[in-house]
Amino acid sequence: MGLNRRRFITFAVGGAVGSLFTPVIWKLTDDVSIWTQNWGWIPRLKKGADSAVPTVSKLCASGCAVKVETVGGAPYGTKGNKDNPLSGGGICPLCASGAQLMNSPARVKGPMKKTGEGKYDPVSWDEALEVLAAKLKSAAGGDGKALFISGDDSGTANEVFSAFMAKLGQSGFYYMPGEAQAAGRAWRETMNGSGQVGFDIEDSDCVLFIGADALDSWGPTVRNQKAFDATHPLGAEAAAKYVYAGPVQTRTAAVCDKWVPVAPGGAAAFALGLAAILIKNGASASAADFAEFKSLVLAKFTPGQVEKMTGVKAAVLADVAKTLMEAQRPVVVPGALGGGAAGFAAGAALNVLLGRFNAKGGMVALPQAPKVVSGAMGPAQALGNDLAGYLAAVAAGKAKAPEVAMVYEANPVYALPQAETMSAGLAKAGFVVSFSTYLDETAAGADLILPAPHPYERFDDLQTPYGLGRFTYCLGAPVAEPQLDVRSTPDVILGLAAKLGQDLGFETFEDVLKAKVEAIGGNWDELAAGAAFTRSGQVSGGVSLGAATLGQAAFPAKATAPVAVAPVMRLNVGSGHVATPPHNPTTIRDTELKGSVMCVQVCKATAKQLGVSEGSKVKLTGAGGECKALVHVFEGVMPGVVAVPLGFGHTAWDEFSKGKGDNVNKILTARIEPGSGLTTWAGSTVNVAKM
Amino acid sequence: MEEKRASKGSGGAIPFLIGFVLSAVFLWIIFPQVIYCQKDQPIRFSHTVHKEQGMECSGCHFFREDGSYAGLPSNEQCAECHTDLMGQDPAEAKYVKEFLEKGRAVPWLIYQYQPDNVYFSHKAHDGFECTDCHPNLGDSDTPPPHYRNVITGYSKQTMKMWQCERCHAEGGVSNACYVCHK
Repeated sequence: MGLNRRRFITFAVGGAVGSLFTPVIWKLTDDVSIWTQNWGWIPRLKKGADSAVPTVSKLCASGCAVKVETVGGAPYGTKGNKDNPLSGGGICPLCASGAQLMNSPARVKGPMKKTGEGKYDPVSWDEALEVLAAKLKSAAGGDGKALFISGDDSGTANEVFSAFMAKLGQSGFYYMPGEAQAAGRAWRETMNGSGQVGFDIEDSDCVLFIGADALDSWGPTVRNQKAFDATHPLGAEAAAKYVYAGPVQTRTAAVCDKWVPVAPGGAAAFALGLAAILIKNGASASAADFAEFKSLVLAKFTPGQVEKMTGVKAAVLADVAKTLMEAQRPVVVPGALGGGAAGFAAGAALNVLLGRFNAKGGMVALPQAPKVVSGAMGPAQALGNDLAGYLAAVAAGKAKAPEVAMVYEANPVYALPQAETMSAGLAKAGFVVSFSTYLDETAAGADLILPAPHPYERFDDLQTPYGLGRFTYCLGAPVAEPQLDVRSTPDVILGLAAKLGQDLGFETFEDVLKAKVEAIGGNWDELAAGAAFTRSGQVSGGVSLGAATLGQAAFPAKATAPVAVAPVMRLNVGSGHVATPPHNPTTIRDTELKGSVMCVQVCKATAKQLGVSEGSKVKLTGAGGECKALVHVFEGVMPGVVAVPLGFGHTAWDEFSKGKGDNVNKILTARIEPGSGLTTWAGSTVNVAKM
Repeated sequence: MEEKRASKGSGGAIPFLIGFVLSAVFLWIIFPQVIYCQKDQPIRFSHTVHKEQGMECSGCHFFREDGSYAGLPSNEQCAECHTDLMGQDPAEAKYVKEFLEKGRAVPWLIYQYQPDNVYFSHKAHDGFECTDCHPNLGDSDTPPPHYRNVITGYSKQTMKMWQCERCHAEGGVSNACYVCHK
């Protein structure tokens, strides 16, 4: 019997029928279905022990004491550290996203060298450091040839950076402008204060925030929220009165006991109006310039004059003054989001008049940790250097551009006021180096990117974040090994110093921190385990009321456009340093960002004046740039004011922030404040045109 | 014509039967051998040697304080004893040289691997004997071969969902989806 076509088909049919009498079809079907569970691109869970490792997170400006939740040593979440008084178990919206930001697609994976416009090649660390060392060598000799910008104003790393600059013969070490800088400069230079100023709001029974959005973005927000929470228990009478004065009903204003609308740029005038009432009611101070101050406020800041400058009616001003006078332990907390010294100095002077300087529940001057790196710049000088003023002068050709600019954990191209002008100033530098964890706008234009580790991958510290009322020191130790080719920037600088023949006295940044801990009298092991080192006590000494400066600086700037700008920072959206974290876009309301267009807020009266309505497309034009936005009508904005959200409009970073909204820093107007000489952008004005 | 039809009919039954039998034999007996490839553990780990040193099972396979199960020991745990070579066994030398000294975790082949979409709590099954589900390795000097399914990647011994469901049903435990899939 030979094999012909018919027999072969019969054989095959027999085989097929035979297979039905075996489980193979069902087995293969099952195997194919579970094969899909293990496709290579499906993320796998990391298995291992679950733990919570304490460290500090410096993603927000003030820093949070956190516990990083890990499994098998890999971070997956972040929560507040209950054992640390800095946060007491709370956490801000930026630091809460720490683990997600660690895996952000915007992270720089290794050293990169610019090869063309927008083009980068990866390079080795050795090659990158050779390039930088050569640039610094060629820039040696003569101050002004190198620039260092630090976005961290509370870390010992700054001692390494500023000492390195000093050894290079350079004084160009700058902090990014912020609350700490404006307050620090006003405190030392305008009021002759010493130490670091802080506010003991926990022990106060009446807190007046003047422009300080303390429960959302000003100072140690988590500490501020805890203090508010403790004095405002649910279902019970508040134990303290909280008042917010500012042009927009921010999240702080929304929960405070009272909101007093004050026009942008009018904070100093508002505070001095209160001072005039206090003095009329017998308040006094032992300050040397009290007589000058008294005559200034009584002559120039009467309730009627203050109403013209700030929009605050005399009766409201009197009511706020009465609240302060009736309180047992009032404290005034001035904010300085718009830079300048006047707003802070006027608020601080109020505390002195109320007898609340260095008092429990008042404004305090705190001691600062001793320097440990020889040659490092002291806080007074570092806070005194005005980056915005310097870059504006470079952009205008009034100051010589540096040959090498180094930027650490800062994004000046994006976050400085009048951003396009400042960016042009930085672009004039011969060689820009970015020590950034993320590919932000500054890194995206730098000649060399030397990526820094994420806060969970490095040693770092936190010295009394600005705003705290008690000396506090926290230490951050690595939680996880870096997964990318990154290096701790202070360690890189120490290595670079050695390469250039400098001796900064330390080989590693960990050694620097150990010396710092020893210098303050702390215990390394306890601090590394998440404890905070705190010390009570204040720096004694008299202060002035800043009358000489306030006499020139406290008056609102003359408007150059019809609508005043009130920038609003919300930490869930991001800060000047960190863009919207991967988990946060869902927390942004459609009254803040609609699609890819941001919303600005005006009240009905302003909308009518501008000829716009809810949802209108508008263009805001300031002195240095323009922004596009949609209008949202909100009665929580003063008439004549447009509230603009900070944190949008990134052109770098990642899909969670890039191309969403516009950068309002572009429309802010940087000007020199008379009297203090500090750059301010408070009271910026814009034209608003319907598109 | 009649003769031709008869010839074709009888010629068709035999090839059918041959195909039927060969297919059934192949798919019952040979196919299960072909679909699994045999692999040995990267290190010949001897449980008996470790037991002879007085070690308890729970010394390496234990519940953590939070109730989660540690599963296999990490390099750090092994290094508590194997800081250096303790014996002459080449398997130990291989482990120390290739894994411990290089800080590499041993890629053990898991006989009962479950995918991430299965939430299996060892604590909830604490009342059972380990060997009710796992092969008895505690008395082995050489780990048994790992039979890996070339399609799925799972081992031959991996417990399937129907087995979980049957045991749950027999024990009166819920078989609702969320019990095992979160």
